[in-house]
Amino acid sequence: MAEQISNNSLKPLTQWVNLQQPLSLDDYCQAGGYQGAKIALQHAPKEVLEIVKNSGLKGRGGAGFPTGMKWSFVPMFEDGDEDAPDNKYLVANADEMEPGTFKDRLLLEGLPHQLVEAMIIAAYTIGANKSYIFLRGEYHLAAKRLQQAIDEAYQNNWLGEKIQGSAYSMDLYVHCSAGRYICGEETALINALEGKRAIPRAKPPFPQVSGLFGKPTIVNNVETLCNLPHILKNGIAWFQAIAPNSDAGSKIYGACGRIKNPGLWELPMGPTLREVLYDYAGGMQEGLQFRGLLPGGASTDFLVAEHLDTPMDFDSIAKVGSRLGTGGLIVLDDKNCPVAMVLNLMRFFAQESCGWCTPCRDGTPWAVEVLSRIEQGQGKIQDLDTLAKLCDFMWIGKTHCALAPGAVEPLRSALKYFHDDFLQHIEHGCCHYNPSMSAKRTKVAQSPASNIQSSQATLSPTSSKAGQ
Amino acid sequence: MSENKVTIFIDDVPYQLSSEDNLLAGVLSEKLNLPYFCWHPSMGSVGACRQCAVTQFQDEDDQRGRIVMACITPVTDGMRISIKHKEASEFREQVIAAMMTNHPHDCPVCAEGGECHLQDMTVMTGHSVRDYQGTKRTFNNQYLGDLVGHEMNRCITCYRCTRFYNDYAGGKDFGVYGSKNQVYFGRQSDGALESEFSGNLVEVCPTGVFTNKVFSSHYTRKWDLQSAPSVCSHCSVGCNLSIGERYGSVRRVMNRYNGDINGYFICDRGRFGIGFVNGDQRIRQVRGIAQQSPVSLTKLDVAKALSHFRKKNFIGIGSARASLEANFYLKNIVGAEQFSPGYNDEEMKVAAQHAQLQAANKAPSLADIENSDFILIIAEDISQTAPRMALSVRQALRNAANDKAAKIGIPAWQDSAVRTIGGKLLSPLFSLQSTSTKLDDVSEQALLLPIEQISQCLVTLAKLLSLGQDKKVNNDKALELALTDLAEQNQLSVRQQSFISSVYRGLRKANKPLFISGTSAGSADLLSNIASLVSAFKQQSEIIAPELIIVPPCSNSVGLLSILDKHSLSIEQVLAQLNDSNKSYQGLILLEQELAKLSEEQISQLRKSAQTLIVLDHSEHRLATIADIVLPVAAVSEGDGHYVNYQGRAQQFFQVHPPVLPVQESWRWLDNIADIVGIKMPSTTSTDGNNNAQHAQVVAKKHRCESLTQLQQFFIDTYPQWPKLLTKNSEKTQQKAIARMSHRASGRTAQMANITVHEAKVTQKSDDDFTFSMEGKSAGQSSEMPFVWAPGWNSNQAIGQFQAEINGQLLKQNAAVFIPAAIDIVNNPCWQLTEKNIDNTFKSSVTENKTFNLLTYVQQKNVYFSDWQAAQTVEFQMLRASNQIHISAETAKQAGVKKGQWCKVVFSATNNKMQLVSQSIISQVVTVNHLPSSLAFGNFSLCQSLSHELEMTIALACDQELTDYLAQFNDGLIAAKKSQENILKRLKTKDQTIPIRLCSGGLNDG
Repeated sequence: MAEQISNNSLKPLTQWVNLQQPLSLDDYCQAGGYQGAKIALQHAPKEVLEIVKNSGLKGRGGAGFPTGMKWSFVPMFEDGDEDAPDNKYLVANADEMEPGTFKDRLLLEGLPHQLVEAMIIAAYTIGANKSYIFLRGEYHLAAKRLQQAIDEAYQNNWLGEKIQGSAYSMDLYVHCSAGRYICGEETALINALEGKRAIPRAKPPFPQVSGLFGKPTIVNNVETLCNLPHILKNGIAWFQAIAPNSDAGSKIYGACGRIKNPGLWELPMGPTLREVLYDYAGGMQEGLQFRGLLPGGASTDFLVAEHLDTPMDFDSIAKVGSRLGTGGLIVLDDKNCPVAMVLNLMRFFAQESCGWCTPCRDGTPWAVEVLSRIEQGQGKIQDLDTLAKLCDFMWIGKTHCALAPGAVEPLRSALKYFHDDFLQHIEHGCCHYNPSMSAKRTKVAQSPASNIQSSQATLSPTSSKAGQ
Repeated sequence: MSENKVTIFIDDVPYQLSSEDNLLAGVLSEKLNLPYFCWHPSMGSVGACRQCAVTQFQDEDDQRGRIVMACITPVTDGMRISIKHKEASEFREQVIAAMMTNHPHDCPVCAEGGECHLQDMTVMTGHSVRDYQGTKRTFNNQYLGDLVGHEMNRCITCYRCTRFYNDYAGGKDFGVYGSKNQVYFGRQSDGALESEFSGNLVEVCPTGVFTNKVFSSHYTRKWDLQSAPSVCSHCSVGCNLSIGERYGSVRRVMNRYNGDINGYFICDRGRFGIGFVNGDQRIRQVRGIAQQSPVSLTKLDVAKALSHFRKKNFIGIGSARASLEANFYLKNIVGAEQFSPGYNDEEMKVAAQHAQLQAANKAPSLADIENSDFILIIAEDISQTAPRMALSVRQALRNAANDKAAKIGIPAWQDSAVRTIGGKLLSPLFSLQSTSTKLDDVSEQALLLPIEQISQCLVTLAKLLSLGQDKKVNNDKALELALTDLAEQNQLSVRQQSFISSVYRGLRKANKPLFISGTSAGSADLLSNIASLVSAFKQQSEIIAPELIIVPPCSNSVGLLSILDKHSLSIEQVLAQLNDSNKSYQGLILLEQELAKLSEEQISQLRKSAQTLIVLDHSEHRLATIADIVLPVAAVSEGDGHYVNYQGRAQQFFQVHPPVLPVQESWRWLDNIADIVGIKMPSTTSTDGNNNAQHAQVVAKKHRCESLTQLQQFFIDTYPQWPKLLTKNSEKTQQKAIARMSHRASGRTAQMANITVHEAKVTQKSDDDFTFSMEGKSAGQSSEMPFVWAPGWNSNQAIGQFQAEINGQLLKQNAAVFIPAAIDIVNNPCWQLTEKNIDNTFKSSVTENKTFNLLTYVQQKNVYFSDWQAAQTVEFQMLRASNQIHISAETAKQAGVKKGQWCKVVFSATNNKMQLVSQSIISQVVTVNHLPSSLAFGNFSLCQSLSHELEMTIALACDQELTDYLAQFNDGLIAAKKSQENILKRLKTKDQTIPIRLCSGGLNDG
């Protein structure tokens, strides 16, 4: 994954990441760790909130919502206030299940103390005495390392009663998810944490007001939280200076697909897609051409060659019709079928739909059904209309949460940018990327359906696979 | 809800909608068609199905608008929406299309077909062409018991079932499993549904996933049913029902909306308990009367048989399950001094107390219960004796969460949001019982005590109140002190003390407190203590006086109570009178009275002393088998009459189908008897109302009572005490009657074509508001709708089309009729309690219990078997559970038995004749924490003399005993199953020969 990390202070998040053996508490402290937390505990929560607000930190989970603003919705109470709840909660969203995204894993496995410190700061600011790390079930190593870090923190009074002599106490727990993509949605995550079905909640009430167990709750992405110690330690000006544009701080970008050098890189906010793809990921593998990419995980729209000079910050990516999302590129080459890729993604989303609202529950499998027919060469020209309709059917505002609109994004952009591929599949009755299939027809109208040929096609000798 | 109306524009037409409900409810209130699935008027909105999409515009110029879900959109002043807008209506069609990708399209064989909300909504959206070409997902179905069927493939995943079963009704054995488009609604494993509200799934489910199994087994389409508005005959709540019949057999019961009482839901006893009408235990022939004609029994036959009883004196025993009319008629045939409600001495005292409480406190309706913010239930397991009330209590407990949500601006209809905010927060429910109940899971504190100690707690609470009045307990510390003092005086345990102090503190915060108790405990002391507690509340100003509900056991208990007076006899007095040689009684008339509490010995004594025993009943019981004359009586669906519910609300049930003669309503039989025996009339010489009964004369009856209206006219003309309120119904202007059948929708007119092709004449009935026909005014024209149907709305959800607004009153609602409570019974010194008596009795018994290690056994109430009439239903007999005894953990430890073990329990006591009575029961042990060792309860009955001051020994049962018991138990279940099969076979055979009656009424003159 991430390698050759230099001692560049512009890489605050990953500077001390060590995947072989993460820093122990002592080593972490020596590297400047827990200073941010110390500073936070010396300030009043209100002051810390102001710092975070002014830093311009935006959520790194995909939506890019200003973190300070999110926190400011948590009701604060004076001592003895009758309406004060008996607790508030902070939850770190470490349920990293977005396909093509693995940035949080780096932070969780490589520097768990950074997250622990960050959570002390965040929980202190909002007045939460109990915090949870909601961890993707498959991240076994992260679970182990986080627990070690937490144990060390308890031993050294960075967690537990009266932290470092202050009046503030906090407990931190690791909760390993049972494994559903939808748990990445904060209210579904809260339901899962409560032991309920992982279904996104109706909003309002927002978790900041009524979240975990009905109490005020903040759910933040791991990467977002990990920025906090550095902001407190180094100040707002330092943080804002990292990025050359309006978005503040650094961001972990990643890339996967048939590229030379897949991996993760912490960069100042806003490198262009081309920079990430060619300078860091090394460009396409030999013999392959770039066709398009998903800029921030599976639930973002395709971008193609014409967009490669777009800076990867929230606003610029949005301007060209996609989303920055998690900042993890999924790159498509010219020897892989875009229809098959969209189908594969759609299968994932259909599989991971929580089953609550109709458009998502019944719309995603419908899209899968249509896409697989097209991919198998049994599509009809009307199917493109059906797909377009389904994209509209599952769009924002019509569903209960953002899963289905996210599922639609790669599909609708593929229909736009790879329309010819879809047409070819339908007109030729086969997938050209699949060497085991050969064209059954040249035009739809001439041969409406032919099953005999398809059985012959499977018998034909297979040529070497595309891309090899 | 009707306040706070604002103007909104729907497709540019201004409407006045309530801003307190959501947009969907508002749109439906205006009778506009907007399809929906997951929203339910009583369960609020969750926004799952996305079916009720409309387009909302920002202002007049906005042409594009955006799609919003009406059910989760609040109504705001000046808002502009469109239902017809292309984008919204296309989206609604797409939603149906998406749901239909997996729906099996098995409508021809689906029990829901023809009254399916999914069908209606599909048609409403205009979806008619299937685009989806893939396969459908399938599920395995579950066995959910013999009442509710399961067909999961039909599911459209609206989540209504689990929202009702788990969230609304508090069921625990049902849930949602799986995810994506494989969401499964059912139990963890096969097994009968445990909730007593499971039948509502049939109505809550928008399609045919949950079906009424009993109805399906002898099925007919909704449009082939003949229905009439009815009232449940199984408990005192008086839920409104719509009973459906075809070919002379009752097919099913559906909920009939009444905003004050049952709303949209009824319990399973009400829904499935109608089975007794078709049962094999029904009495269908007259016994003890010679029939001249081979064809039918005539009035002449009856007259001949009864001729030697002319002007003779009878004792009449009425009952709480017979109609108000029948009881009143019987009382006036035999005379007040010869009338008994069939209660024993203690029950008469209970009745006297009940009458007083009823007169002094107006009991709230179920809708009012749901507004309470503090509830204390005393010695009445309403979850079993009045289940629908328990459901309302459950809803009342959500008020705390609703208030909390309201504080942050979330309205109560945002169901999932309110549940998120509320979490486990509930309004306080306190439960003071002798048995565990199904409301314990939501009660703040549930204390199990013998009835005497329950009384003691109430006395202590009353004393605490009087101290509170003197400001001696205005803070928690003073309260604890005062309580400790009182506790010492009354020997209260620590748990009792903390219970009382919690209740007291809860009451101080309450704005709308409610107490619920009942007559199940059979303790007059308890009711009298409640009476003094309630009056203690009224004497102070610190705490808001709670409302009070007393739950009697039967559908017409309060009606019976209203006609009791100081002359009314107890069963003991009846026996004494019959044996009194000075009084020459011709015999005894039993009106729908099985006298279940009498021992075999008392029954034979009764038989011996009654010269003639006349039994009027619909089902066989031990008295019917030994009677001289048995007259078969119509069950609730076969006749007309009134029941009076726990509040005193008189409600009429209408004949659904005329029974096969000689079965007729009991008031018609009584009318036939009165023709011969005569009636008792108040003497004209006496002007003093109180004494007239003593001067009652026997006179010949002159009125003809061919219909209920004529009967009531006769009562009004003859007896001033007949509640005049009832006459309102009969004063209706003569309008065209309402059809009992729905509009022509199938080949029903050819239903008898295998017998004759000529169209049969419609059954005629005089003075009827309803016709036995599909011709007549449509159902919605009446406040009492035989069934609900509106164009485009074939399911029961059509009710929204007949409400003034969603969850409101019916458009044609008649004012409720309340019967005044009669407290003349209190004037009989026999039924009065003396103050001293109350205080001492329990104290002595408590001490006794302690010294001799004696205990009290209490039988748990059961929704299916506690009521004699409902227990006649074979489907319920199949639900019988094996014996269980609940004992305290200590007792179990002492006896060396563990939870779940089969034991032989021997109960013994000395009865009032100083004989040793004992009874042994094979039973499974359940241990209960915090159960006093002086109390045990179980699901089996013990003989009469074994309830108080028992000795109980428990030992493990030997294998042979257990095998014998289980074999016997299983035989019972198998017999019930067999009997169900036989009934079904008989009914299906009978369908081939349709009983057609040209006239619905009584016997012919001959």
